[in-house]
Amino acid sequence: MDVIMPQLGETVAEGTVSVWHKTIGDTVSTKEPLFDVSSDKVEMEVPAPAEGTLLEIRVDAGTTVPVGEVVAIIVREGEVIEAKAAAPAAVRAEAEVAKADVASIRSNSVKAANRDANGNPLSPAVRRLVAEHDLDPTAIAGSGLKGRIKKKDVLAYLDSGASRAPARRFPAPPPLSFSADDTEVIPFNKLRKLTAEHMVRSKATSPHVLQAVEADFARVARARTGVSGGWKKREGYSLTYLPFIAKAVCEAIREFPRVNAAIDGENLVVFRRVNLGIAVDLDFDGLVAPVIKDADQMTLQELARAIRDVSERARTNQLKPDDFTEGTYTISNSGVFGTMITAPIINQPQVAILSTDGITKKPVVIETDDGDTIGIRPVGVLAQSFDHRAIDGAYSAAFLNRVREIIQTKDWATVLS
Amino acid sequence: MATKPKAAAKGKGRAKAAPKRAAKGKASLANDDIGEDTRLALWRSLLEIRHVEQRAYDLFLQNLIKGTSHLALGHEAVAAGFATAMQKDDWSFCTYRGHHHTLARGASMEGVLGELMGRQCGLLQGKGGSMHLTSVEHGAMGSYAIIGAHLPIAMGAAWTAQYKKTGQVSVCFFGDGTTNIGAFHEALNMAAVWKLPVVFVCENNLYMEYTPIKDVTAVHNPAGDRAASYGLPKIVIDGNDADEVYRTAQTAFAKARAGDGPSLIECLTYRHSGHSRADPGDYRPPGELEAWLKKDPVPRYRERLAEFGISKDVIDGMDAEVLAQVDEATEISKASSPPGLELIDVDVWADGGTAWRN
Amino acid sequence: MAELTYREAVAEAIAQEMRRDEDVVFLGEDIGAAGGVFKATVGLFKEFGPERVRDTPISEQAILGAAMGSAMTGLKPIAEIMFSDFLAVCWDIVANEIAKARYMTGGQMSMPLVIRTANGGGSRFGAQHSQSVENWAMMIPGLKVVAPSSPADVKGLLAAAIRDPDPVMFFEQKSLYPIKGFVPDGELVDELGTAKVLRDGGDVTIVALAAMVPRAMKAAEELSAQHGIEATVVDVRSLVPLDTQTILREISKTGRLVTVEENPRLCGWGAEIASIVADEIFWDLDGPIIRITTPHIPLPAADALEDATMPSAERIVREIVEKID
Repeated sequence: MDVIMPQLGETVAEGTVSVWHKTIGDTVSTKEPLFDVSSDKVEMEVPAPAEGTLLEIRVDAGTTVPVGEVVAIIVREGEVIEAKAAAPAAVRAEAEVAKADVASIRSNSVKAANRDANGNPLSPAVRRLVAEHDLDPTAIAGSGLKGRIKKKDVLAYLDSGASRAPARRFPAPPPLSFSADDTEVIPFNKLRKLTAEHMVRSKATSPHVLQAVEADFARVARARTGVSGGWKKREGYSLTYLPFIAKAVCEAIREFPRVNAAIDGENLVVFRRVNLGIAVDLDFDGLVAPVIKDADQMTLQELARAIRDVSERARTNQLKPDDFTEGTYTISNSGVFGTMITAPIINQPQVAILSTDGITKKPVVIETDDGDTIGIRPVGVLAQSFDHRAIDGAYSAAFLNRVREIIQTKDWATVLS
Repeated sequence: MATKPKAAAKGKGRAKAAPKRAAKGKASLANDDIGEDTRLALWRSLLEIRHVEQRAYDLFLQNLIKGTSHLALGHEAVAAGFATAMQKDDWSFCTYRGHHHTLARGASMEGVLGELMGRQCGLLQGKGGSMHLTSVEHGAMGSYAIIGAHLPIAMGAAWTAQYKKTGQVSVCFFGDGTTNIGAFHEALNMAAVWKLPVVFVCENNLYMEYTPIKDVTAVHNPAGDRAASYGLPKIVIDGNDADEVYRTAQTAFAKARAGDGPSLIECLTYRHSGHSRADPGDYRPPGELEAWLKKDPVPRYRERLAEFGISKDVIDGMDAEVLAQVDEATEISKASSPPGLELIDVDVWADGGTAWRN
Repeated sequence: MAELTYREAVAEAIAQEMRRDEDVVFLGEDIGAAGGVFKATVGLFKEFGPERVRDTPISEQAILGAAMGSAMTGLKPIAEIMFSDFLAVCWDIVANEIAKARYMTGGQMSMPLVIRTANGGGSRFGAQHSQSVENWAMMIPGLKVVAPSSPADVKGLLAAAIRDPDPVMFFEQKSLYPIKGFVPDGELVDELGTAKVLRDGGDVTIVALAAMVPRAMKAAEELSAQHGIEATVVDVRSLVPLDTQTILREISKTGRLVTVEENPRLCGWGAEIASIVADEIFWDLDGPIIRITTPHIPLPAADALEDATMPSAERIVREIVEKID
């Protein structure tokens, strides 16, 4: 029987076979993992659909295939394998003639990454070479139109010696000299590997620019104080600054929609929905960014509950594949440790990410009609990394300024009441 | 080979020798220019066509013959008369209604029935079907299913005979409907201008497929009245009288072989069945078929043989003999396997293959 | 080595074969005493006489019917259809009869004949006397299809076509009749189904036919001199049989295919080659396939319009420079 790529979630269309736990000829069982599947940030173990023997592996580890595609064949106990229907003689003969006559025909089973560093699709010849030599196409300089890699560019790259030390997705670190006594080797877990890969890819893909504004959180603080006791009693947890920032971001996106976007080739795809990714640390053991769908449609209270929900589920490993899809903008929050500023890495294929850091009391110059005075206010830095391919500094700055304005001027107490 | 005896008879078709069996009937006519051997050859040919066509009809009803088919029941005398007058190395060309001409030239019954049934034993091993019966070894140079196409082609064969001075003639059978297509006129004109040894034989059965020919043709005799356009005499004959057809053919062939150019002969005849398998022939006026059945070329020739003193035993004996041959050919065809799939990939090119690339 | 025009090469080839084989005969409109409307058959009537070089009425069905009937009974006729556009009035004989006779009769019939015809544009004759219709013939199983681009190829390929035991459609590009080229002395017989590599370059492979070959060559020189792009030029010569070995090999080398076709866009021979390339050497391609054709329109008559529609050397250069990187 066929083993197919499972549906990892309603909105997930493909999955990557990350590892095969069995090899051909092994006994497989519904109680044992047969292979692991990963989508963007989820890893899932898939058991065999029936008891039997693994006959054929159709999809190698590391390969991404659409949901529903046959990845392996197993033979159930007692099952007889059907012979493949014989093609009519004429058709077969034609196929054989074609095969034998054209010496240069290559196997059609080439698989490779399909875009270069500039987002150009790779030509079939380049794909074949990249696959044959296990190259990273983003490392090859293209001489064609818009920096497109041509076959001769790959050949030149190989000639330059790259073929002896092929670039890889996960560049091997330079050999370290250490003694076992002095060190502890911690192998990357799956999430660590995925994170590493994603971060490298994001940095290689997007030219990051960091901009930051300092915001006065006095009105937010007052509103929090006003409700804090009741909130905690009712909801079971404290109301943090983050939902306020998220609310301000959602409102500002309405005026500056291009930060809520993705790049596709030479197009900026601006999303009408605001699906907010919230970066969550898993107790120093990894980072995930579950998505709150349609965050802009939520009240502040709903946002607070949603943030609490995904964070909790992240820490208890309860997130589902659908929780990771369709993100349009991401907020990373390191504020709990009192950091001043963090330069976040964009969550691909989005074009911007906001980091919120520690909000601390500071002396602030306050302008009044009676002249300037100094006051003590809760102040925090909002730092946004944006993809300079997609937008420019002025647009990003205007967006940040609007977020700050909302935080500083909105009547949060009324919003909460 | 079920039809072996026929070839022997046909070989003598042109013989003018005295009859082997003297006429002994009381009212029998004296033997004439045709002679008993030739008459018996004509009779055999008429019977072969009649019985094979009827068998073909029966096999349709049993769904053993697929596709379309155009029976020549009623047209037998035209094919028998011309074919009997032809030499073995002459060429004949016919239309999709061509079972009768192909049989008359000497193709085997199982070759014809097998082809209709899509069997390996068919003349074309199943690759042509009912509308393309061909037997080059018998000079039956093909059945052409696009109206008019074979008139220029038959004319081209006559060009070979003229160029190589072989004395062969090319005979082209076609229907009344063909006289209204351009190729008819192109072929007649060029054959006349080049004085080619080709004989164009129009089987006028009164209908172009389903429509009366008189409704769609500007002249009364679709072929005969056009002859003058090409400097040819008008020849319109009783196509249901095998003797008249035979004599007319002889005259035309003599002219052709003498280098005096083509002839255009209109043979009046009638289709006993519809145009094709799908056609019951309902459009024909009441009584028309019955009137023509009285002129059915087969019973007519039976009477003719009797008039010339040929005994009922001989006449009926040949009938039974041919029917037995048809039975045998039917069994051979039924027993023959369907053509092998390897035939798909042969004979597009002279090298036997089908390759369009290297 | 003599310098001949393309039209002289036609007459030379026919004469060479008629001298060799009594069964070779030639028929068509105005081909005899008049020497052909394109003067491509001058001298044949005089040398071989009216029985072997026969003038016909304006009856294309009769011409091709006569060719077919005589071919199946022992002659090796060459039939001329004055303009390839006129094939439409006798296409039944070509497509239904000549092409299918051998297969349909289980190999009983042979059809050793050649249909020569003046094909293509460039002569300001308008849409009924300028079509490039070799693809009409290419799509019919049972026809061989040849279209030479030079006097030497005309002579060698026409001689090969006459000797070939199968029906061959021989498309002479009428605007090439006056061009000159060196033709080897003595008997010349080429091989059907062979493409020729006329120029070697590493960047792009231009595949062209008939009148598009000299234009492709001119474009290749221009690309080299002005743009530093080196083009391989392949002259297809024969559409059926198609020399896919040579064509695919040359495309594999550069990874880029440009077809230059005189025909209107749809179903041109280049589409078939593109399809074979996509099927069989996809992984050798280093960029999209480019087809340069006449737009999908009836060819206009005025010189300004005709020149703007048929692929020119300038257009080949421009499209390649724009699209090749």
